[in-house]
Amino acid sequence: MKSGETEWAQLEAIIDKYRGKTWALIALLQEVQAALSYIPPESIEYIADALKLFPCHVQGVINFYAGFSLKPKGKYVLKVCRGTACHVKGGRGILRFMKKELGLNEGETTPDYQFTFETAACLGACALAPTMMVNRTYFGKLTPPKVTNILAEYSERDEKNYES
Amino acid sequence: MEEISLTINGRNISCLPGTSILHAALENSIKIPTLCHHPHLEPIGACRLCVVEDEKSGRIMASCVTPVASNMAIKTDSPTIKQHRRNIIRLMMANHPESCIVCSQGNRCQLRQVAAELGVGEIGLYPMPHYTGLEEANPFIIRDLSKCILCGKCIRADHELVVVGAIDYNLRGFKSRPATVHEMPLEKSSCTFCGTCVSMCPTGALTAKNPRYVGSPQKELSTICGFCGVGCSLVMGSVDGQIVEANPSHQEGTVNRSTLCVRGHFTHDFLNVPERLTTPLIRRDGELSPSTWDEALEFVGKRLISIKRKYGPQRLAFLGSSKCTIEENYLFQKIARVGFGTNNVDNGSYGSGRLIVNLVDERLDGGGHVTPLAGLEQAELVFVIGANPTQSAPVVGYYLKRASRIKGTPLIVVDPREIELVPFSSLWLPLSPHSDCELINGLAAILHTRKSYDLDFISRFTEGFDLYCGGLSSLDLEGVSRGTGLQVELMEEAANLIQGKKIAFVIGHGILQQRYGTLTMDALLNLALMTGSLGGEGKGFYFLARENNQVGTWDMGAVPDYLPGRQPLRNDMMRKHWEQAWEVKLSPDPGLNIIRMIEEAEKGNLKALYIMGENPLRSLPQPERVRKALRNLDLLVLQDILATETTQIADVVLAAAAFSERGGTFTNLEGRIQSFEQVASPPGDAKPDWEILDLLSGKIGFPRRYSSLQEIRAEISQMVPMYAGLGLSKEESWVKEVSAMRLFRRDGEGNPIHFSPVIPAEGETYDEGYPFRGILGSLRCHLGSGTRTGHSARMRDFGLKGEVEISAQDGARLNLNEGDQVRISSRFGSIVRGVTVKKDLRSRLIFIPMAFHNNDAIQLIQLSHLGQADSLGWKACHVKLEKL
Repeated sequence: MKSGETEWAQLEAIIDKYRGKTWALIALLQEVQAALSYIPPESIEYIADALKLFPCHVQGVINFYAGFSLKPKGKYVLKVCRGTACHVKGGRGILRFMKKELGLNEGETTPDYQFTFETAACLGACALAPTMMVNRTYFGKLTPPKVTNILAEYSERDEKNYES
Repeated sequence: MEEISLTINGRNISCLPGTSILHAALENSIKIPTLCHHPHLEPIGACRLCVVEDEKSGRIMASCVTPVASNMAIKTDSPTIKQHRRNIIRLMMANHPESCIVCSQGNRCQLRQVAAELGVGEIGLYPMPHYTGLEEANPFIIRDLSKCILCGKCIRADHELVVVGAIDYNLRGFKSRPATVHEMPLEKSSCTFCGTCVSMCPTGALTAKNPRYVGSPQKELSTICGFCGVGCSLVMGSVDGQIVEANPSHQEGTVNRSTLCVRGHFTHDFLNVPERLTTPLIRRDGELSPSTWDEALEFVGKRLISIKRKYGPQRLAFLGSSKCTIEENYLFQKIARVGFGTNNVDNGSYGSGRLIVNLVDERLDGGGHVTPLAGLEQAELVFVIGANPTQSAPVVGYYLKRASRIKGTPLIVVDPREIELVPFSSLWLPLSPHSDCELINGLAAILHTRKSYDLDFISRFTEGFDLYCGGLSSLDLEGVSRGTGLQVELMEEAANLIQGKKIAFVIGHGILQQRYGTLTMDALLNLALMTGSLGGEGKGFYFLARENNQVGTWDMGAVPDYLPGRQPLRNDMMRKHWEQAWEVKLSPDPGLNIIRMIEEAEKGNLKALYIMGENPLRSLPQPERVRKALRNLDLLVLQDILATETTQIADVVLAAAAFSERGGTFTNLEGRIQSFEQVASPPGDAKPDWEILDLLSGKIGFPRRYSSLQEIRAEISQMVPMYAGLGLSKEESWVKEVSAMRLFRRDGEGNPIHFSPVIPAEGETYDEGYPFRGILGSLRCHLGSGTRTGHSARMRDFGLKGEVEISAQDGARLNLNEGDQVRISSRFGSIVRGVTVKKDLRSRLIFIPMAFHNNDAIQLIQLSHLGQADSLGWKACHVKLEKL
C-alpha cells in the first residue's frame, strides 16, 4: 500500500490531465485503477468536479464495471477459473485449496494487501484447465502443489522484478 | 418539412420526421402501454413495454425510441407483442415484493394498472424479490427500492428536470438500483427533496412520507402553490376536506410542468396544524376569547368608524398581504380608499424591493412586465445578480440549470458567496458585498471602450446615451477593481462573454433589498439599454418575487401610492378615472407605507391598523420596536390563518381560510395570471378573506357588496386593462402590457427610454466594533419569515438549525469550529446561532439564514425605508461575533 500522500499526488496528476474532458471518464478511471490499484471513494467528488459530471454518475460507472474497484486490491490479484472445462478438470478442488491456503473468501484481500482472491467465469484457456491468473499471467494444468509454489513465489517477489 | 406516412394497426398516419412511433400513436389516440415514458423526459426505452411489431420484417421495436420511417407498417397489439408485454410484466412482478395491500401507492401504482390491462394475475414464475433496506429516516420521502422497476424516471427527472444529480444507477444486473454517492441516505446527499422523483415513480418505490394518511387521496384537484412567486401548478389530494398531499400537475404549458420544490411538495402540511385559527376572537379582559362573526365584525366596524370620526381617516392604516389573492387585495384597497377614505394601504412585500421594481416600471412605463421563464431557455446570456434562485425560488433555478447544463447557455453569476449556481456558470464574479453598482458600471465601461453596444437599438428606442458614455469614460477601472475586489482581467472576461449578446438579468433580493439597490438598478437598466437587452423573449429583467401574489398585489394597488393597474396616484387623469368609477374623492397624496405605519404608530399618530395575512412581528426588522409601536394602537385587527406572534397582541383576530380552502387568483413573477378553485374546506368557522372583507363592508355601510369571486373578477377585468383576461377562460392568461415606450409598441410611436447618469459609488463605511459583514438570505426549506413553513411538521422533523456560515479563516482566527455557538450582534439586535465553517467563503463575511428560530435574524437589521439614500438596506449588516 502506498502512503496516502503519494497516492493523492498521483491522483491529482491524473485528474488534472483529464480536467474538462467529460468524455474521458473511463480513461481517467482506468489510469487511477492502474496507478493506485483502486479508486479511492473520496476522490469521486473531485473527479466529478473536474469532468463536470455528477458524483453519483461517476460512482455508477465505477461499480458497473468489474475492472474498477472502490476498495484497494492486493498487489497480486488471483483469479481462479470456474468455467466448464476447468470444472471438469478439478477446478473446484483448486478453488477449495486456494481458499484454505490464503484464508480468504471470494472477493477478499489479505491483511497485508499482498493477494486479492477472485474467481472468473471463464479465462478462455480451456486447453490448460484448470487455470488461474495472477494479475496478467496465466497458470495452467494446476495441482495443489503447483498452487503452493506459485503462492510462495509471489509472496516474496516484487512485480517489477518479475515482469518478463 | 415533409410529413412521413406510415400505418399503425392498419390506420394511415402521417407525422413529422423525427417523431417516435409512440408519439405518432399517442397523437392518434392509439394506446400503447408504457412505464418508463414521460412526456417531459427524454425517452430511454428501459421498460420495453411499448414494443411494437413491424409487419413487414417482424422486428420487435421499442416504439418510444424508434423514429418513424416512411411506409412503416406497425402493429401495436399482435399476439407476439401481447405475449412480450405480459412476459415483461410477469418478470417485473416476480422481482417485486408482494405487498400491494400495504403499499401506499395503492390504486395509483402503474405496474398494477398495466398488469391489470394486460390480464396478468398469477405470474407463474418463481418469485425472487430483491429486498433492499427501507429508507425512511428523512421526513419527506420513503424509499423502498425493493419495489423499483428500474424505469429510471427518478434519475432522469433528477438529471434533466431539476439538474441536481443526487442519484444515478448503481451496480448492474439483478442488484442494480438508483443510489446516491457513497450510498448515503438522501438527507446526507445533495438531494434537495424537491420530490420530483416521488411524483414520477410509477410504483411505490418512492412515496411521500405522510404521517396522517397512507394511500390514494379521495379527491385530487388542481390549484396553485401559495409559497413563492413562481406559482407552480399543483394537484392537491384531499381526504375528508383536508389536504394530505401535493404533487406537480405535470401539465404542459404550466410554469413548473413536472417539478416542484421541497416547500410546495412537502410543507403544505402546515395547513392542518392545531394552531390554525378556527373562529374569530375578541380580546376581553386582556384575553382573546372566541366570538361569532357577527359580533367580531360589528365590533371592528364600529371601532374603525368611530376612530375615523374622532381622528380622521389618515389615522387608520390597512396592511394587506402579498400572499392573498388578486380579488382580495383589490377589495382590500378599495375598502381602505373608498370605505374609509385613506391611502394608507400597503402589503408585506414592501421588503421585496417594491420601490426598486417600481423604478423600473416607471422608466419602462410598464413595459417588460411579462417575463415568461421559458424565455430563459432561449436566452443568449443569463446574468444572475444578487439572487440565489436554487434556494429562494428553486423552479427558476431549474430553468437556469437546464439552460446552462443542457442547452449550453452562458451564465454569469455575481455574488459574494459561492452559491449553488456557480458550478453551472461560465463565470463567477465574487464581488465584495454592496459593490454591485460599481461592477455594472465597470462592465459597461469596458463594453463601451470596445464599442460593443447595440447602436440600432440605442438610436431607435433610447435617449441620453451620449451623456451616459461621458459618465462611463470618466470611470476609473482600477478604482472599480479595488471597490469590487475583482481583478480587471476578470471583468474583461465577463465583458468577453457579454459582448454582442442580449442579456436576461435574473435579479434577487441581493439587489432588491440592498442599501444601494436603486443605484444598482439604474446601472443595470443602463446596461440593458446599452446592449439592447429589453423588449423580447429571453432578455430583460426577471425579478425573483418572494411571495406567490407579490406581483398581483402590486398590480391591484394594495400600495400607498398606486391605484389598481399600477396607475400612479399622483397622475391626475388616472385618479379622476378611478374617482369616477368608484364615486369617491381620492387624495393625490400617497399614504403610509408599512415602515411609515410603524413609525406613525410609534409616535402615537396612527390609531388603528387592520392587518390581513401578515405577521409583522416576525417579518419586520427591529421586532421589539414594532411590538412597542403596535401596542400604542387603539385598535389592532388581525385577519389570518394561523395563530402568530402578531395575533397574540391583537385586539380582534379574524379566522381566515388558507388559499387552498378558497378560490382566487395569483399573478406570478412572470406576469402569469392563474386562477384556482377551492380544494379543501376551511377549518372550523374560518372564512375566505374576501368573504370577511365583504362582511366587514356590510358593517361599515360600504355601498358595493360582492356575493361571489366571479363578481369581483368581473369588476377587475372591466376596470383594470392589465387584467382584461381575468376570469374569462380556464386557460392561462397573462397580464396585458400597455406601455407608452416606443420599444414596447408595434406602431413605432411612443417615447424613448432614458439612460440615467453614472453615479460614482460611495465608499463603504466601516463600523468600528462591528468588523464582520452579515448577509441575510433564504434557504429553500423556508419561505420568507417562515411563519407557515415553520409550522410544517415535516420541516420541523428535518431539524435544520439554520447555522451561520463563516469562513475557514475567520473560524481559525476566532477559534470557532463546526457546531460551536456564537453570538452575532449588530447595532440593532443580537442572536445566538450554531456555526458551520465554509471553506471557500470570503473572509469577514458571514451568512445568516432567515426564517429559523422565529426569524430572529431580522433583529440585526434596522427598520429603514428601502430605496432611500440613507437606508442601510435589509440584506446586509455590520456585526460582531462572540464565541459562546
